Amino acid sequence: MADDIVFELLHSEIINYALHDPKGSKDGTVQEADLSIVEYIGFAAGYKIMERLTREWPRFKDELDTMKFICTDFWTCIYRKQIDNLRTNHQGVYVLHDNAFRFLTNFSNGQQYLEYAPRFVAYTCGLIRGGLANLCISSIVTAEVQSMPSCKFHIQVQRT
Amino acid sequence: MTIHNLYIFDRYGTLLYYGEWNRTKQSGMSREEEGKLMYGMLYSIKSFVAKISPLDPKDGFLNYKTSKYTLHCLETPSGLKFIMNTDNQAQNTREILRKIYSELYVKYVMRNPLCAAGEPINSELFKTKLDAFIKQAPLTAARAS
Repeated sequence: MADDIVFELLHSEIINYALHDPKGSKDGTVQEADLSIVEYIGFAAGYKIMERLTREWPRFKDELDTMKFICTDFWTCIYRKQIDNLRTNHQGVYVLHDNAFRFLTNFSNGQQYLEYAPRFVAYTCGLIRGGLANLCISSIVTAEVQSMPSCKFHIQVQRT
Repeated sequence: MTIHNLYIFDRYGTLLYYGEWNRTKQSGMSREEEGKLMYGMLYSIKSFVAKISPLDPKDGFLNYKTSKYTLHCLETPSGLKFIMNTDNQAQNTREILRKIYSELYVKYVMRNPLCAAGEPINSELFKTKLDAFIKQAPLTAARAS
């Protein structure tokens, strides 16, 4: 679909742009810091898209219900597929498992390019965090890629 | 009914990819040199065809045939060239080249931000997908009726 590729290319260019360091320093520490920009862009997008997606929904019963919404409707809206597996320990940790994460499917189906994988999951981490933030759940979202193109997102809900 | 090898050139003549399946005779030169030789010949044939054609050539150069093998060429509007050598009996090779371009190259090279434009393709995924595609390619498919 045409709109898919536009999103995909824009996404990869945002990452290139964020990683591009105008001062020209070459050490790895700068990259870490810069990815937070990408994560924040994702956060803002997720926050807004959640508003739009849930406008015809009743209130969610509980946290698990919200997570299910993330796995089904939210994911379908952005990636045209559902999360393949959702796990939780019922204490605020959720693991979302996507067997063919869209941003990684064209890269490799093994270990090649694995060192670049963190760049391409930062935006999505932000997206989930933003979506949850708009539903009054503050969280920390991290991603884990062991073998492309599958990806696990760990959501840790922050209780106050 | 075999595919011998495949070259992918960009519009500046850089050899982006070379794949080999059933090639029994090697050229005896390095891959880069061979690529340059191949591109030079294609370039000459293209201009030869364009000049000598008595009518306006629509597609330009498509293929040539020797007693042993046939060379097929697909050039995209963006100037990418897909060159494939097959035996003389192979059919619907144009279809195969189109598919390699539209289904494999676009998906696994263009949509992979880690494959820089104008540089040789290193992606393992592209290589495995291409191998799998070539292996199952229906070169012996029934004659187009």
